[in-house]
Amino acid sequence: MSNRSRALGPEELARFGQELDDLRHRTVASLGQHDANYIRRVIAAVRWCAFGGRALLFVGAFVPTLLWPAWSIGVLLLAASKILENMEVGHNVIHGQYDWMGDPQLQGRSYEWDIVATSQNWRETHNFRHHTYTNVRGLDDDIGYGLLRIFPEQRWRPFYLFQPLIAVVFALVFQWGVAIQNLKLGRWLAGRTTTAKLVRQARPVLLKAGRKLGKDYLLFPLLAGPFFLPVLLGNMAANVIRNVWTYVVIFCGHFTADAETFPKECIRNESRGHWYLRQLRGSSNLSGGRWLDLFTGNLSYQIEHHFYPDVPANRYAAMAREVREICARYGQHYNTGSLPRQFGQVVWRILRHAFPSRPPLLPATG
Amino acid sequence: MPDSQTSGGLLRRAFRPVADLLVSPAVFDFWVSRFNRLWSWQRPLARVIARHQPGPGAVTLVLRRNRHCPRPQPGQHINLTVEIDGRRLTRCYSPHSLEDGRMTISVKAVEDGRVSRHLCERVRVGDVLELGTAFGQMNTSKEPHGRWLMLAAGSGITPLYSLIQALAERGMPPRLDLVHWAQRRSDLWFEQELRELAAVHPGLHVHHVTTREQVTDDTIAHGRLDAALLQQLVGDVSGRPVMACGPAGFIQTAQALLDPVAASFQAEAFTPPVFTEAADGEVDVTLARRGLTLRLPRGQTLLAALEAAGIRPDSGCRMGICNSCACGKRSGLTHDVHTGQTESEPVPALRLCINRAGSDLVLDL
Repeated sequence: MSNRSRALGPEELARFGQELDDLRHRTVASLGQHDANYIRRVIAAVRWCAFGGRALLFVGAFVPTLLWPAWSIGVLLLAASKILENMEVGHNVIHGQYDWMGDPQLQGRSYEWDIVATSQNWRETHNFRHHTYTNVRGLDDDIGYGLLRIFPEQRWRPFYLFQPLIAVVFALVFQWGVAIQNLKLGRWLAGRTTTAKLVRQARPVLLKAGRKLGKDYLLFPLLAGPFFLPVLLGNMAANVIRNVWTYVVIFCGHFTADAETFPKECIRNESRGHWYLRQLRGSSNLSGGRWLDLFTGNLSYQIEHHFYPDVPANRYAAMAREVREICARYGQHYNTGSLPRQFGQVVWRILRHAFPSRPPLLPATG
Repeated sequence: MPDSQTSGGLLRRAFRPVADLLVSPAVFDFWVSRFNRLWSWQRPLARVIARHQPGPGAVTLVLRRNRHCPRPQPGQHINLTVEIDGRRLTRCYSPHSLEDGRMTISVKAVEDGRVSRHLCERVRVGDVLELGTAFGQMNTSKEPHGRWLMLAAGSGITPLYSLIQALAERGMPPRLDLVHWAQRRSDLWFEQELRELAAVHPGLHVHHVTTREQVTDDTIAHGRLDAALLQQLVGDVSGRPVMACGPAGFIQTAQALLDPVAASFQAEAFTPPVFTEAADGEVDVTLARRGLTLRLPRGQTLLAALEAAGIRPDSGCRMGICNSCACGKRSGLTHDVHTGQTESEPVPALRLCINRAGSDLVLDL
């Protein structure tokens, strides 16, 4: 919380912003073959894991003695492929992190990721709204996704008493939550948008969802013939694993104990330095090493990702060392911790704020 | 395209909508390129199957195209894309020796030219390059008649060589004079090939000229393009159709000399972009999709300048992070207002909110 960080005067804030900008320019200037090779290696891993996973699900179906071991490994490989594609490739490419390569298949404006949510909606809800107005109440829909009360500043309603249960269901079907986020069903239910408009906006979402469902729950199971069911269940299990994992990682990014939210007034005439400061105070990292970095799509460096959403994520680890050092010099709290610790704090917030709660009385952040 | 008329083309077109639902081109390309790097769902790719040197500091690459490559007409250019240090860079070259499924490009290494140096120094037989659209209007009529004149300077010979190759097959005009200037004799690409063609086709007269090196051989003249030299080499030029290809300065001279007297004057000039650090003044910004050209100030970000001109492109954060306003830049120079860096390459995603124009631009808007 803000009392763990020193208040910065306008000049200090400007220097803080300048140092972070300089780090960005240095990194961008050094992008090259190494980064291109990295993203291509990850894409190769996505393809091979999907191939291996789907093949093993088939093997399990056709060789009964191997059913369970092959099926289990197949599910894990397929889930790994989906997680890597969504987090390290899709999310990062859609941010435009690899636009500099000029590869038409890795362009942020046109990349379509392997998840039911359309890239177009994601570009608006996530790239623009969430990243520009991070943790600003009333502007960043990602604060509880209109479903959960994570912060005491959100107004309590009796509905939130059910949120421990809702949060679990939400985790299992997370990709569907992301898919319908931009449809703003709440507004439609309240009669604030017309049905015709909703249908128009839902069309591309439904088309894409149909394609994804058709692939996992019809095409590949049908290819297995009489073993339709094990393949279908395997695909479903892989999707659920991906949903739960992405949910855990994303919730750890902004809902830990020390993460802060901000009132709308705070972004009026916001300086570059203050924008960085708001990103820092609203985000939290996960410490865990290279494999965690890979499977979180480097969202284990959520702070760096929010500072530099369009810089290739494979650079965050190196940038993080300098960011930590800069934050330490300016007396700013750098929120990081292990996955169990950070997620434990998220779970606690979900449980605690299901009940009425009041924000602690602290001086306004500056 | 002739390709789409074949039965294969029909099948492709019939199955395309179904296939598009099932496979994404990126996934398809990943797997088929394991077997053959030229195979692709829709990317025009070409493999280098031979390379040699037409002259010092230059390279000739023979390319085998895949089925998605356009078939350039003789005299046209084609965009060629290579990846250098992770970045794709595109330049256009005039292919010649166009045969079924093959074409050849000849490239001279330009000092500080990243692509030309890459092609000359690092590309090897077996490498795969990406091709783009073919364009250019320089062409001859189907049955050329009269007395033709072609002028080439340096590597500007390539499109003209390609046209002459085509004419040699289709039928030469009664008279065709080709004058090729180069600094040294070794830079006179295709000298031997052209002399051999001239030996077979009595209408074709090839004149080689050096500008820097004085050659003792009397088959090679010396001097820059002017009226006297032209008179000495090819005689009367008035009333002839003229084609010229070379650097901008050469084309200007040729045009001043010949445009008033020639029957027609077609020219292609290659010019490097002009760098300027000026932050004031105005430039022409062409919005290719809207078919609109606007006069916009250099000093403002493109997003602000476009909005002031009444155009409202998609936009979001207005600070360079969300990528909502990114659009393709086909040509021109832009400056990043955060880093101050200049971008002279065409880019697929230019963020309008943090870039200002450095020269005339063509945008995909």
